Amino acid sequence: MKPLTFKESKQLLFAPIIENNPIALQILGICSALAVTVKMDVTLVMCAALTSVVALSNFFISLLRFYIPENIRIIVQMTVIASLVIIVDEILKAYAYEASKQLSVFVGLIITNCIVMGRAEAYAMKNPPIRSFLDGLGNGLGYSFILIVVATIREIFGSGTFLGLQVMPDSYPTNNFLLLPPSSFIIIGLMIWVIRSISTSQIEEDENPLKTHTFKPLVAKKEASNG
Amino acid sequence: MKNLFIPLFACIACAVVVSFTAVSVRSMQDLNLENDKKSKILLAAGINSENIDEEFEKIEIIYVNFISNEFVEMDEKYDHIKATLKSDLSTLVPKEKDIAILKRMENVGPMYLWFDREDNIEKVVLPIRGYGLWGTLYGYISLASDLNTINGIEFYEHKETPGLGAEVENEEWKNIWKGKILYNKNGGVELKVVKGASSSKYEIDGLSGATLTSNGVSNMIEYWLGPEAYGPALKTVKETFSS
Repeated sequence: MKPLTFKESKQLLFAPIIENNPIALQILGICSALAVTVKMDVTLVMCAALTSVVALSNFFISLLRFYIPENIRIIVQMTVIASLVIIVDEILKAYAYEASKQLSVFVGLIITNCIVMGRAEAYAMKNPPIRSFLDGLGNGLGYSFILIVVATIREIFGSGTFLGLQVMPDSYPTNNFLLLPPSSFIIIGLMIWVIRSISTSQIEEDENPLKTHTFKPLVAKKEASNG
Repeated sequence: MKNLFIPLFACIACAVVVSFTAVSVRSMQDLNLENDKKSKILLAAGINSENIDEEFEKIEIIYVNFISNEFVEMDEKYDHIKATLKSDLSTLVPKEKDIAILKRMENVGPMYLWFDREDNIEKVVLPIRGYGLWGTLYGYISLASDLNTINGIEFYEHKETPGLGAEVENEEWKNIWKGKILYNKNGGVELKVVKGASSSKYEIDGLSGATLTSNGVSNMIEYWLGPEAYGPALKTVKETFSS
Protein backbone atom coordinates (compact mmCIF):
# COMPACT_ATOMS: atom_id res chain seq x y z
CA MET A 1 0.00 0.00 0.00
CA LYS A 2 1.14 3.54 -0.78
CA PRO A 3 2.51 5.59 2.09
CA LEU A 4 0.04 7.81 3.86
CA THR A 5 0.09 11.33 2.44
CA PHE A 6 -0.90 14.47 4.26
CA LYS A 7 -3.90 14.96 2.02
CA GLU A 8 -5.07 11.43 2.65
CA SER A 9 -4.77 11.72 6.39
CA LYS A 10 -6.69 14.98 6.26
CA GLN A 11 -9.36 13.22 4.28
CA LEU A 12 -9.52 10.34 6.78
CA LEU A 13 -9.75 12.72 9.69
CA PHE A 14 -12.20 15.31 8.42
CA ALA A 15 -14.42 13.50 5.92
CA PRO A 16 -16.49 11.85 8.68
CA ILE A 17 -17.34 15.21 10.21
CA ILE A 18 -19.74 16.47 7.52
CA GLU A 19 -19.43 14.49 4.29
CA ASN A 20 -19.56 11.03 5.79
CA ASN A 21 -20.84 11.63 9.29
CA PRO A 22 -21.53 8.38 11.17
CA ILE A 23 -24.67 9.81 12.79
CA ALA A 24 -26.04 12.08 10.08
CA LEU A 25 -25.31 9.93 7.03
CA GLN A 26 -25.03 6.38 8.31
CA ILE A 27 -27.50 6.91 11.18
CA LEU A 28 -25.35 4.89 13.58
CA GLY A 29 -24.83 5.34 17.31
CA ILE A 30 -28.06 7.26 17.82
CA CYS A 31 -28.97 5.86 21.23
CA SER A 32 -26.23 7.52 23.23
CA ALA A 33 -26.73 10.70 21.19
CA LEU A 34 -30.27 10.83 22.57
CA ALA A 35 -29.36 10.01 26.13
CA VAL A 36 -26.29 12.03 27.04
CA THR A 37 -26.93 15.39 25.39
CA VAL A 38 -28.86 17.15 28.14
CA LYS A 39 -25.82 18.85 29.64
CA MET A 40 -22.74 20.01 27.74
CA ASP A 41 -20.12 18.93 30.28
CA VAL A 42 -21.42 15.36 30.36
CA THR A 43 -21.60 15.33 26.57
CA LEU A 44 -17.96 16.40 26.26
CA VAL A 45 -16.84 13.57 28.54
CA MET A 46 -18.91 11.08 26.51
CA CYS A 47 -17.43 12.40 23.23
CA ALA A 48 -13.89 12.07 24.56
CA ALA A 49 -14.66 8.55 25.81
CA LEU A 50 -16.16 7.38 22.52
CA THR A 51 -13.50 9.02 20.35
CA SER A 52 -10.66 7.41 22.29
CA VAL A 53 -12.38 4.01 22.24
CA VAL A 54 -13.11 4.03 18.50
CA ALA A 55 -9.63 5.32 17.57
CA LEU A 56 -7.78 2.83 19.78
CA SER A 57 -10.01 -0.12 18.95
CA ASN A 58 -9.47 0.57 15.24
CA PHE A 59 -5.72 0.72 15.83
CA PHE A 60 -5.48 -2.53 17.76
CA ILE A 61 -7.91 -4.45 15.59
CA SER A 62 -5.99 -3.32 12.53
CA LEU A 63 -2.75 -4.56 14.10
CA LEU A 64 -4.33 -7.97 14.62
CA ARG A 65 -6.19 -8.08 11.31
CA PHE A 66 -4.01 -10.74 9.63
CA TYR A 67 -4.13 -13.03 12.63
CA ILE A 68 -7.83 -12.93 13.46
CA PRO A 69 -9.52 -16.07 12.10
CA GLU A 70 -12.41 -15.04 9.86
CA ASN A 71 -15.09 -16.99 11.73
CA ILE A 72 -14.36 -15.65 15.20
CA ARG A 73 -13.46 -12.12 14.18
CA ILE A 74 -16.45 -10.48 15.86
CA ILE A 75 -15.56 -12.12 19.18
CA VAL A 76 -11.98 -10.89 18.98
CA GLN A 77 -13.15 -7.40 18.02
CA MET A 78 -15.56 -7.38 20.94
CA THR A 79 -12.78 -8.46 23.32
CA VAL A 80 -10.62 -5.53 22.26
CA ILE A 81 -13.51 -3.03 22.33
CA ALA A 82 -14.85 -4.24 25.67
CA SER A 83 -11.42 -4.03 27.29
CA LEU A 84 -10.96 -0.46 26.06
CA VAL A 85 -14.42 0.53 27.31
CA ILE A 86 -13.77 -0.95 30.76
CA ILE A 87 -10.47 0.92 30.94
CA VAL A 88 -12.18 4.19 29.95
CA ASP A 89 -14.95 3.55 32.49
CA GLU A 90 -12.48 2.88 35.30
CA ILE A 91 -10.47 6.00 34.46
CA LEU A 92 -13.62 8.15 34.38
CA LYS A 93 -14.69 6.79 37.76
CA ALA A 94 -11.32 7.78 39.15
CA TYR A 95 -10.78 11.18 37.54
CA ALA A 96 -14.20 12.47 36.39
CA TYR A 97 -16.43 11.03 39.09
CA GLU A 98 -19.37 13.44 38.74
CA ALA A 99 -19.58 13.04 34.96
CA SER A 100 -19.23 9.27 35.18
CA LYS A 101 -22.07 9.15 37.70
CA GLN A 102 -24.31 11.06 35.32
CA LEU A 103 -23.25 8.99 32.31
CA SER A 104 -23.85 5.83 34.38
CA VAL A 105 -24.54 2.95 31.98
CA PHE A 106 -23.86 4.88 28.80
CA VAL A 107 -20.09 4.55 29.11
CA GLY A 108 -20.50 0.78 29.34
CA LEU A 109 -22.86 0.88 26.40
CA ILE A 110 -20.08 2.23 24.14
CA ILE A 111 -19.29 -1.48 23.70
CA THR A 112 -22.47 -1.88 21.70
CA ASN A 113 -22.18 1.46 19.91
CA CYS A 114 -22.60 0.72 16.21
CA ILE A 115 -19.94 3.25 15.24
CA VAL A 116 -17.23 1.37 17.10
CA MET A 117 -18.22 -2.06 15.74
CA GLY A 118 -18.95 -0.63 12.31
CA ARG A 119 -15.55 1.02 11.89
CA ALA A 120 -13.75 -2.07 13.20
CA GLU A 121 -15.54 -4.35 10.78
CA ALA A 122 -15.68 -2.02 7.76
CA TYR A 123 -12.34 -0.26 7.96
CA ALA A 124 -9.86 -1.59 10.49
CA MET A 125 -10.10 -5.20 9.27
CA LYS A 126 -8.91 -4.09 5.81
CA ASN A 127 -6.52 -1.20 6.43
CA PRO A 128 -3.17 -0.61 8.16
CA PRO A 129 -3.01 0.61 11.77
CA ILE A 130 -2.18 4.31 11.28
CA ARG A 131 -4.95 4.81 8.73
CA SER A 132 -7.38 2.91 10.93
CA PHE A 133 -6.42 5.04 13.89
CA LEU A 134 -7.06 8.24 11.90
CA ASP A 135 -10.33 6.84 10.58
CA GLY A 136 -11.45 6.04 14.12
CA LEU A 137 -10.42 9.47 15.32
CA GLY A 138 -12.30 11.07 12.42
CA ASN A 139 -15.46 9.10 13.13
CA GLY A 140 -15.20 9.93 16.79
CA LEU A 141 -14.96 13.58 15.86
CA GLY A 142 -17.97 13.24 13.56
CA TYR A 143 -19.96 11.74 16.42
CA SER A 144 -18.72 14.46 18.76
CA PHE A 145 -19.66 17.21 16.28
CA ILE A 146 -23.30 16.11 16.19
CA LEU A 147 -23.48 15.56 19.95
CA ILE A 148 -21.95 18.93 20.74
CA VAL A 149 -24.40 20.74 18.45
CA VAL A 150 -27.36 18.85 19.95
CA ALA A 151 -26.15 19.44 23.50
CA THR A 152 -25.61 23.15 22.82
CA ILE A 153 -29.18 23.54 21.61
CA ARG A 154 -30.64 21.39 24.37
CA GLU A 155 -28.75 22.97 27.22
CA ILE A 156 -29.20 26.60 26.13
CA PHE A 157 -32.86 26.34 25.22
CA GLY A 158 -33.74 23.51 27.60
CA SER A 159 -32.32 24.68 30.88
CA GLY A 160 -31.10 28.17 29.92
CA THR A 161 -27.49 27.41 30.82
CA PHE A 162 -24.29 26.59 28.94
CA LEU A 163 -21.63 24.45 30.62
CA GLY A 164 -23.54 25.08 33.83
CA LEU A 165 -23.40 28.88 33.50
CA GLN A 166 -26.57 30.92 33.18
CA VAL A 167 -26.81 32.36 29.65
CA MET A 168 -30.50 33.06 29.23
CA PRO A 169 -32.20 35.88 31.14
CA ASP A 170 -33.94 34.86 34.35
CA SER A 171 -37.32 35.42 32.73
CA TYR A 172 -36.60 32.60 30.25
CA PRO A 173 -38.92 29.68 31.01
CA THR A 174 -37.03 26.40 30.82
CA ASN A 175 -38.21 24.13 28.05
CA ASN A 176 -38.90 20.72 29.51
CA PHE A 177 -39.37 19.07 26.15
CA LEU A 178 -35.75 19.79 25.23
CA LEU A 179 -34.63 18.05 28.40
CA LEU A 180 -36.31 14.81 27.34
CA PRO A 181 -34.56 12.36 24.98
CA PRO A 182 -37.09 12.63 22.08
CA SER A 183 -36.07 16.25 21.51
CA SER A 184 -32.61 15.22 20.33
CA PHE A 185 -34.26 12.89 17.85
CA ILE A 186 -35.92 15.91 16.31
CA ILE A 187 -32.77 18.04 16.45
CA ILE A 188 -30.74 15.29 14.78
CA GLY A 189 -33.46 14.95 12.14
CA LEU A 190 -33.33 18.66 11.42
CA MET A 191 -29.53 18.55 11.25
CA ILE A 192 -29.68 15.72 8.71
CA TRP A 193 -32.09 17.82 6.68
CA VAL A 194 -29.75 20.83 6.75
CA ILE A 195 -26.65 18.76 5.93
CA ARG A 196 -28.37 16.98 3.05
CA SER A 197 -29.76 20.14 1.55
CA ILE A 198 -26.23 21.60 1.51
CA SER A 199 -24.40 18.53 0.23
CA THR A 200 -26.98 17.05 -2.09
CA SER A 201 -24.85 13.99 -2.87
CA GLN A 202 -26.00 12.54 0.46
CA ILE A 203 -29.62 12.35 -0.59
CA GLU A 204 -30.52 8.73 -1.03
CA GLU A 205 -32.48 7.38 -3.92
CA ASP A 206 -36.07 6.61 -3.05
CA GLU A 207 -36.13 2.83 -2.62
CA ASN A 208 -39.89 2.45 -2.68
CA PRO A 209 -41.30 5.29 -4.74
CA LEU A 210 -45.07 5.66 -4.89
CA LYS A 211 -46.35 4.90 -8.34
CA THR A 212 -48.74 7.39 -9.83
CA HIS A 213 -52.30 6.08 -10.32
CA THR A 214 -51.93 2.36 -9.81
CA PHE A 215 -55.68 1.99 -10.24
CA LYS A 216 -58.13 3.72 -12.52
CA PRO A 217 -60.32 6.17 -10.65
CA LEU A 218 -63.90 4.91 -10.47
CA VAL A 219 -65.22 8.10 -12.00
CA ALA A 220 -63.13 7.68 -15.09
CA LYS A 221 -64.35 4.09 -15.50
CA LYS A 222 -67.97 5.15 -15.26
CA GLU A 223 -67.49 7.90 -17.77
CA ALA A 224 -65.76 5.52 -20.11
CA SER A 225 -68.62 3.00 -19.98
CA ASN A 226 -71.17 5.73 -20.48
CA GLY A 227 -69.31 7.12 -23.42
CA MET B 1 -4.80 -24.63 16.61
CA LYS B 2 -2.19 -22.25 15.22
CA ASN B 3 -4.93 -19.81 14.27
CA LEU B 4 -6.15 -19.63 17.81
CA PHE B 5 -2.83 -18.63 19.31
CA ILE B 6 -3.06 -14.90 18.47
CA PRO B 7 -6.70 -14.42 19.58
CA LEU B 8 -5.90 -16.25 22.80
CA PHE B 9 -2.87 -14.07 23.31
CA ALA B 10 -5.01 -10.97 22.60
CA CYS B 11 -7.51 -12.09 25.23
CA ILE B 12 -4.82 -12.59 27.84
CA ALA B 13 -3.22 -9.25 26.99
CA CYS B 14 -6.62 -7.52 27.28
CA ALA B 15 -7.30 -9.20 30.62
CA VAL B 16 -3.91 -8.13 31.99
CA VAL B 17 -4.32 -4.53 30.81
CA VAL B 18 -7.86 -4.26 32.19
CA SER B 19 -6.90 -5.71 35.58
CA PHE B 20 -3.83 -3.50 35.77
CA THR B 21 -5.89 -0.35 35.10
CA ALA B 22 -8.61 -1.37 37.53
CA VAL B 23 -6.13 -2.00 40.32
CA SER B 24 -4.08 1.13 39.72
CA VAL B 25 -7.05 3.54 39.82
CA ARG B 26 -8.82 1.76 42.68
CA SER B 27 -7.50 4.05 45.43
CA MET B 28 -8.59 7.13 43.48
CA GLN B 29 -12.08 5.66 42.98
CA ASP B 30 -12.40 4.80 46.65
CA LEU B 31 -11.48 8.37 47.52
CA ASN B 32 -14.21 9.65 45.18
CA LEU B 33 -16.78 7.33 46.74
CA GLU B 34 -15.71 8.42 50.20
CA ASN B 35 -16.05 12.09 49.27
CA ASP B 36 -19.42 11.42 47.66
CA LYS B 37 -20.68 9.81 50.87
CA LYS B 38 -19.32 12.68 52.93
CA SER B 39 -21.00 15.25 50.70
CA LYS B 40 -24.29 13.35 51.07
CA ILE B 41 -23.96 13.41 54.85
CA LEU B 42 -23.50 17.17 54.65
CA LEU B 43 -26.35 17.57 52.15
CA ALA B 44 -28.69 15.59 54.39
CA ALA B 45 -27.80 17.99 57.19
CA GLY B 46 -28.55 20.89 54.87
CA ILE B 47 -24.95 21.93 54.26
CA ASN B 48 -24.04 22.53 50.63
CA SER B 49 -20.34 23.23 50.65
CA GLU B 50 -17.31 22.71 48.43
CA ASN B 51 -14.96 22.27 51.37
CA ILE B 52 -16.06 18.83 52.45
CA ASP B 53 -13.10 18.17 54.73
CA GLU B 54 -13.40 21.55 56.42
CA GLU B 55 -17.10 21.02 57.10
CA PHE B 56 -16.43 17.50 58.27
CA GLU B 57 -14.10 18.74 61.00
CA LYS B 58 -17.08 20.40 62.66
CA ILE B 59 -18.79 17.04 63.06
CA GLU B 60 -18.51 14.87 66.12
CA ILE B 61 -18.65 11.23 65.08
CA ILE B 62 -19.70 8.82 67.80
CA TYR B 63 -20.22 5.09 67.46
CA VAL B 64 -23.10 3.12 68.89
CA ASN B 65 -23.01 -0.55 69.74
CA PHE B 66 -26.48 -1.76 68.80
CA ILE B 67 -26.31 -4.86 70.99
CA SER B 68 -25.45 -3.19 74.30
CA ASN B 69 -26.75 0.26 73.25
CA GLU B 70 -23.53 1.82 74.54
CA PHE B 71 -21.26 4.34 72.90
CA VAL B 72 -17.95 2.83 71.90
CA GLU B 73 -14.58 4.00 70.59
CA MET B 74 -13.84 2.99 67.03
CA ASP B 75 -10.98 3.39 64.61
CA GLU B 76 -11.34 6.31 62.22
CA LYS B 77 -11.22 3.96 59.25
CA TYR B 78 -14.08 1.77 60.49
CA ASP B 79 -16.63 1.22 57.70
CA HIS B 80 -19.98 0.07 59.04
CA ILE B 81 -21.16 -1.14 55.61
CA LYS B 82 -18.08 -3.33 55.12
CA ALA B 83 -18.51 -4.63 58.69
CA THR B 84 -21.67 -6.47 57.60
CA LEU B 85 -19.47 -8.78 55.53
CA LYS B 86 -17.57 -9.99 58.59
CA SER B 87 -19.18 -12.42 60.99
CA ASP B 88 -17.38 -11.05 64.07
CA LEU B 89 -18.48 -7.45 63.37
CA SER B 90 -22.10 -8.10 62.46
CA THR B 91 -25.04 -10.22 63.50
CA LEU B 92 -27.80 -11.95 61.63
CA VAL B 93 -31.07 -10.05 61.88
CA PRO B 94 -33.94 -12.37 62.92
CA LYS B 95 -36.44 -12.73 60.05
CA GLU B 96 -39.45 -11.36 61.93
CA LYS B 97 -37.57 -8.19 62.88
CA ASP B 98 -35.89 -7.72 59.50
CA ILE B 99 -38.39 -5.29 57.97
CA ALA B 100 -35.73 -3.47 55.95
CA ILE B 101 -34.42 -6.81 54.60
CA LEU B 102 -30.83 -6.28 55.67
CA LYS B 103 -30.01 -9.95 56.42
CA ARG B 104 -26.91 -8.92 58.39
CA MET B 105 -26.58 -5.83 60.54
CA GLU B 106 -23.33 -4.31 61.78
CA ASN B 107 -22.76 -4.35 65.55
CA VAL B 108 -21.49 -0.81 65.63
CA GLY B 109 -22.81 2.13 63.62
CA PRO B 110 -21.75 5.78 63.37
CA MET B 111 -23.73 8.86 64.38
CA TYR B 112 -22.75 12.24 62.99
CA LEU B 113 -23.46 15.02 65.49
CA TRP B 114 -23.31 18.79 65.26
CA PHE B 115 -23.13 20.84 68.47
CA ASP B 116 -23.75 24.51 68.98
CA ARG B 117 -21.57 26.78 71.17
CA GLU B 118 -23.24 25.76 74.41
CA ASP B 119 -22.62 22.10 73.62
CA ASN B 120 -26.26 21.52 72.89
CA ILE B 121 -27.11 19.18 70.09
CA GLU B 122 -27.83 21.04 66.85
CA LYS B 123 -28.49 18.25 64.40
CA VAL B 124 -27.65 14.64 63.77
CA VAL B 125 -27.17 12.50 60.67
CA LEU B 126 -27.67 8.74 60.71
CA PRO B 127 -26.97 6.21 57.98
CA ILE B 128 -30.00 4.22 56.79
CA ARG B 129 -30.37 1.46 54.29
CA GLY B 130 -32.94 -1.07 53.21
CA TYR B 131 -34.31 -3.02 50.32
CA GLY B 132 -36.42 -1.24 47.72
CA LEU B 133 -37.58 -2.95 44.57
CA TRP B 134 -34.35 -3.95 42.80
CA GLY B 135 -31.76 -3.63 45.49
CA THR B 136 -30.64 -1.99 48.67
CA LEU B 137 -30.95 1.78 48.94
CA TYR B 138 -28.17 3.46 50.92
CA GLY B 139 -28.70 6.89 52.37
CA TYR B 140 -28.58 9.28 55.27
CA ILE B 141 -31.31 10.89 57.30
CA SER B 142 -30.83 14.05 59.32
CA LEU B 143 -32.78 15.10 62.42
CA ALA B 144 -33.04 18.58 63.87
CA SER B 145 -32.07 19.54 67.44
CA ASP B 146 -35.18 17.96 69.02
CA LEU B 147 -34.08 14.65 67.46
CA ASN B 148 -37.63 14.18 66.26
CA THR B 149 -38.10 16.59 63.35
CA ILE B 150 -36.67 15.54 60.00
CA ASN B 151 -34.00 17.87 58.70
CA GLY B 152 -33.25 16.16 55.40
CA ILE B 153 -32.74 12.85 53.60
CA GLU B 154 -30.26 11.79 50.94
CA PHE B 155 -29.58 8.56 49.05
CA TYR B 156 -26.16 7.86 47.67
CA GLU B 157 -26.59 4.44 46.15
CA HIS B 158 -29.60 2.54 44.85
CA LYS B 159 -30.72 0.41 41.92
CA GLU B 160 -34.29 1.69 41.57
CA THR B 161 -36.01 2.26 38.22
CA PRO B 162 -35.07 5.58 36.59
CA GLY B 163 -38.09 7.88 36.50
CA LEU B 164 -40.00 5.87 39.13
CA GLY B 165 -38.16 4.56 42.17
CA ALA B 166 -35.05 6.56 41.32
CA GLU B 167 -37.10 9.67 42.09
CA VAL B 168 -35.88 9.20 45.67
CA GLU B 169 -33.18 11.54 44.41
CA ASN B 170 -35.70 14.14 43.28
CA GLU B 171 -35.02 17.46 45.02
CA GLU B 172 -38.70 18.33 45.38
CA TRP B 173 -39.49 15.00 46.97
CA LYS B 174 -36.59 15.28 49.38
CA ASN B 175 -37.82 18.75 50.34
CA ILE B 176 -41.16 17.26 51.47
CA TRP B 177 -39.30 15.49 54.27
CA LYS B 178 -38.16 18.70 55.95
CA GLY B 179 -40.19 19.42 59.08
CA LYS B 180 -41.96 16.06 59.23
CA ILE B 181 -42.16 14.37 62.63
CA LEU B 182 -40.60 11.00 63.26
CA TYR B 183 -41.83 9.64 66.60
CA ASN B 184 -45.35 9.63 68.06
CA LYS B 185 -46.10 10.38 71.72
CA ASN B 186 -45.35 6.82 72.77
CA GLY B 187 -41.88 6.95 71.23
CA GLY B 188 -42.64 4.64 68.33
CA VAL B 189 -41.66 5.46 64.75
CA GLU B 190 -44.80 6.92 63.20
CA LEU B 191 -43.40 8.48 60.00
CA LYS B 192 -44.49 6.66 56.84
CA VAL B 193 -44.35 7.13 53.11
CA VAL B 194 -48.01 6.82 52.10
CA LYS B 195 -49.73 6.29 48.78
CA GLY B 196 -50.91 9.53 47.23
CA ALA B 197 -50.72 12.85 49.04
CA SER B 198 -49.82 13.13 52.71
CA SER B 199 -52.38 14.42 55.17
CA SER B 200 -50.41 14.80 58.42
CA LYS B 201 -46.97 15.67 59.73
CA TYR B 202 -46.26 11.94 60.06
CA GLU B 203 -46.78 11.25 56.37
CA ILE B 204 -44.67 11.67 53.24
CA ASP B 205 -46.21 11.67 49.74
CA GLY B 206 -45.50 8.34 48.07
CA LEU B 207 -43.58 8.20 44.81
CA SER B 208 -46.10 7.53 42.08
CA GLY B 209 -45.44 4.31 40.24
CA ALA B 210 -42.98 3.22 42.89
CA THR B 211 -44.99 1.70 45.71
CA LEU B 212 -42.37 -0.89 46.56
CA THR B 213 -39.60 1.69 46.72
CA SER B 214 -41.82 3.90 48.90
CA ASN B 215 -42.55 0.97 51.22
CA GLY B 216 -38.85 0.18 51.32
CA VAL B 217 -38.08 3.73 52.42
CA SER B 218 -40.81 3.54 55.10
CA ASN B 219 -39.43 0.27 56.40
CA MET B 220 -35.85 1.44 56.55
CA ILE B 221 -36.88 4.53 58.54
CA GLU B 222 -38.88 2.36 60.91
CA TYR B 223 -36.00 -0.05 61.36
CA TRP B 224 -33.04 2.28 61.66
CA LEU B 225 -34.73 4.80 63.94
CA GLY B 226 -36.49 2.12 65.94
CA PRO B 227 -35.44 0.10 69.00
CA GLU B 228 -33.25 -2.35 67.06
CA ALA B 229 -30.92 0.34 65.76
CA TYR B 230 -30.48 4.03 66.59
CA GLY B 231 -33.64 4.52 68.66
CA PRO B 232 -32.14 3.96 72.13
CA ALA B 233 -28.94 5.83 71.28
CA LEU B 234 -30.93 8.85 70.08
CA LYS B 235 -32.77 8.88 73.39
CA THR B 236 -29.48 8.83 75.31
CA VAL B 237 -28.05 11.62 73.18
CA LYS B 238 -31.18 13.67 73.73
CA GLU B 239 -31.06 13.22 77.50
CA THR B 240 -27.35 14.01 77.69
CA PHE B 241 -26.98 16.96 75.38
CA SER B 242 -30.27 18.83 75.42
CA SER B 243 -30.73 21.85 77.61
